[in-house]
Amino acid sequence: MEPMAVNDQPVIRLDGVTKEYVKYEDTPTLLGHALRWNRTKRSTLVAISDLNLEVARGETVGVIGRNGSGKSTMLRMVAGVTAPTSGRTEINGRVAPLISVGVGFHPELTGRENVYVNGTILGLSRDQIDDRFDEIVGFAEIAPFIDTPVKFYSSGMFVRLGFSVAVAAQPDVLIIDEVLAVGDIAFQGKCFDRMEEMRQGGATVLVVSHNLNAIIRLCERTLVLDRGMTRFVGDTHDAVELYHRILAEDGPTDAGEGSAGGPSLAARLLGPDRRPVAKVEAGGELTVRVSVSGPPPSNNAHLGVHVNSATGVMVYSETVPFAPLAGPADSPAVLDIRFRTQMPSGSYKVKAVLVWGGEPHERAVSPVIDFYVDGRPMVHGLADFEAVFEVPAEIVSPPGPGSEDEAAVADATPDHRHDLGDVDQEHPRQRSQPAPQTGGAGLDQHPVTDPGQHGYQAEPPQR
Amino acid sequence: MRSPTHSFVLEGPRAPIRSLLRDLWSSRDLIIMLARKDYFVRYRRASLGLVWAVGLPFVQALVLSFVFSKVFRFETDVHYGVFVFSGILPWSLFAGSLGAASTSIVDNHMLASKIYFPRAVFPMVTVLTALFAVVPGVIVLLTMALVLGVSLDWTVVLIVPGLLLMVLLLVAFNLVTSALHVYFRDIRFVVAAALTAWMYATPVLYPLERAPGSLRTIIELNPVTGAVTMFRAPIGGTENLFPAVWWTLAWIAVLGTIGVIFQARRDRVFIDLL
Repeated sequence: MEPMAVNDQPVIRLDGVTKEYVKYEDTPTLLGHALRWNRTKRSTLVAISDLNLEVARGETVGVIGRNGSGKSTMLRMVAGVTAPTSGRTEINGRVAPLISVGVGFHPELTGRENVYVNGTILGLSRDQIDDRFDEIVGFAEIAPFIDTPVKFYSSGMFVRLGFSVAVAAQPDVLIIDEVLAVGDIAFQGKCFDRMEEMRQGGATVLVVSHNLNAIIRLCERTLVLDRGMTRFVGDTHDAVELYHRILAEDGPTDAGEGSAGGPSLAARLLGPDRRPVAKVEAGGELTVRVSVSGPPPSNNAHLGVHVNSATGVMVYSETVPFAPLAGPADSPAVLDIRFRTQMPSGSYKVKAVLVWGGEPHERAVSPVIDFYVDGRPMVHGLADFEAVFEVPAEIVSPPGPGSEDEAAVADATPDHRHDLGDVDQEHPRQRSQPAPQTGGAGLDQHPVTDPGQHGYQAEPPQR
Repeated sequence: MRSPTHSFVLEGPRAPIRSLLRDLWSSRDLIIMLARKDYFVRYRRASLGLVWAVGLPFVQALVLSFVFSKVFRFETDVHYGVFVFSGILPWSLFAGSLGAASTSIVDNHMLASKIYFPRAVFPMVTVLTALFAVVPGVIVLLTMALVLGVSLDWTVVLIVPGLLLMVLLLVAFNLVTSALHVYFRDIRFVVAAALTAWMYATPVLYPLERAPGSLRTIIELNPVTGAVTMFRAPIGGTENLFPAVWWTLAWIAVLGTIGVIFQARRDRVFIDLL
């Protein structure tokens, strides 16, 4: 993909941008300031350090990093909300953030009123909103509810309307900060399509997400931030790879929980070769190595593993009675929990939980570890059943005369099984539908005979 | 589609004053829209709705005029109730907007952290929201005056420059207090405390000429006096307009300049403290 025309100036240009925040241990108070009470109680926090980035028109760039790595600070600087402490930000064009739920929308106002308020915030004039109103409502698919106060909307409807208004503002830079995770799959597909359209029209899109699927799908280039430092800018797959190396190196960032004086849990994520990993191919093997240190739990101890999706839905949990082998004192009891990742591509969180005692249970929880499953981008939902799509053997018949008709092929449904048989045997799907551009995300690794038959047409092209 | 007016270059926290003023001017649609939103949101769920917007100052005027005319036996040339209402209306515009404005940037931090427009938009919005409620109030005031036998002449038109003075004064004050409140969260309480005393230092319940000599100078220096007196001219007369109005204009110039400088210096870093 050509990045940009030769003489075109970049839309986003960050030159040696550093952002420091002054951290007050107490927020300054009038008296404190006047009397110089809390002069010494301030420290500096470097949120972004020497960031250099140029983004051309029509590029989609991802930003990934752990919480606190400086992603939001960077977005704020691109949005012009905050100025760099040193360095220079230059934005050539209008920036529209996808204003998330509860920010741009007022719950008491109707959808219609909120469209006008939000549109104005994004810089549209009243006439422009009038002109685009039907398009906004149509795209958001909320026409019947447009005069209902948005407090009655579902979170999906919120996001749809928000996205719809943001793209209607036709910004030069669209900022997508996590929010797309909320919409349903069908609408996400629509959003991806629309973003692709905008990109072709020259808009620049900046995506920040923990949903690495979305990043891989949307972004040709990705920036990896780690504690404010730029670790990498470049090919998205390399960026995701590096991000997982960072996750694996540093281990979990939170501390876990447990009662004082009780046992505490630590956990590591290991690959099949027993080396620390943070990414696994779909269907591959993962081991959670749990070590329980501190005083051994009393009676009725159970150890469990919880795997949650990036959106917080529990994917899997299993608990077994826990009776650690009596080892030498002071050394933690270690247990490996090994499982196969039969789930769709995406980011997941795993933690180990130890419960013991009677009612109420006491419990200790290991720090949460992030990991990423790669290689099955067409699978959605919580579990990967590794379904096989095939034409039943008894229906497959030899090709009949005149069955080369393209329209019939494109239109094939299970009711046209004779056509399906033809396509399957002689002409793979690609004849009537252009092949998706594969970009290494591992498309179609399962035995699909005819992807178009199973709703995959709705998917936007992969990169 | 390139929109050059939205392009920006930032090399430090300070925004040039000229670009701040230009951005503010181009945000005028936004100010109107946000003010309308606030206004409707405030009254939507109340069954009497907009009646409250006029009702509250009216009730306040009713109570105060009862207390002062019946208990303290206070009298004015015109009907005292009309006189008090004609002072309470501009005063409640001032007090309502100033109170809301000081916290406005902090209150809107969610929106402010996502998208840039001059942060001075928020204190401006509070002026407009408060102003919406004054317009029906003026109609009620004039009706009251006619019904209760207060004769009105050409000075009725002075209500408009009176409101204009008040709006400018509020803009100037609000720019300063909203910026200060981001740094010092005591400001809202300072403002609230000041407002209670301030009302009595403003000729709201009494005509300016009743104030004794030394106090009168202080009251004339009070920036709100000029605006209230101008607004009230059709009821209270035009004799006391000056020098109070000159003082009001001086305050507007000084505070407005300070406010714009504050806002320009901190516009793009306010959010770091929210």
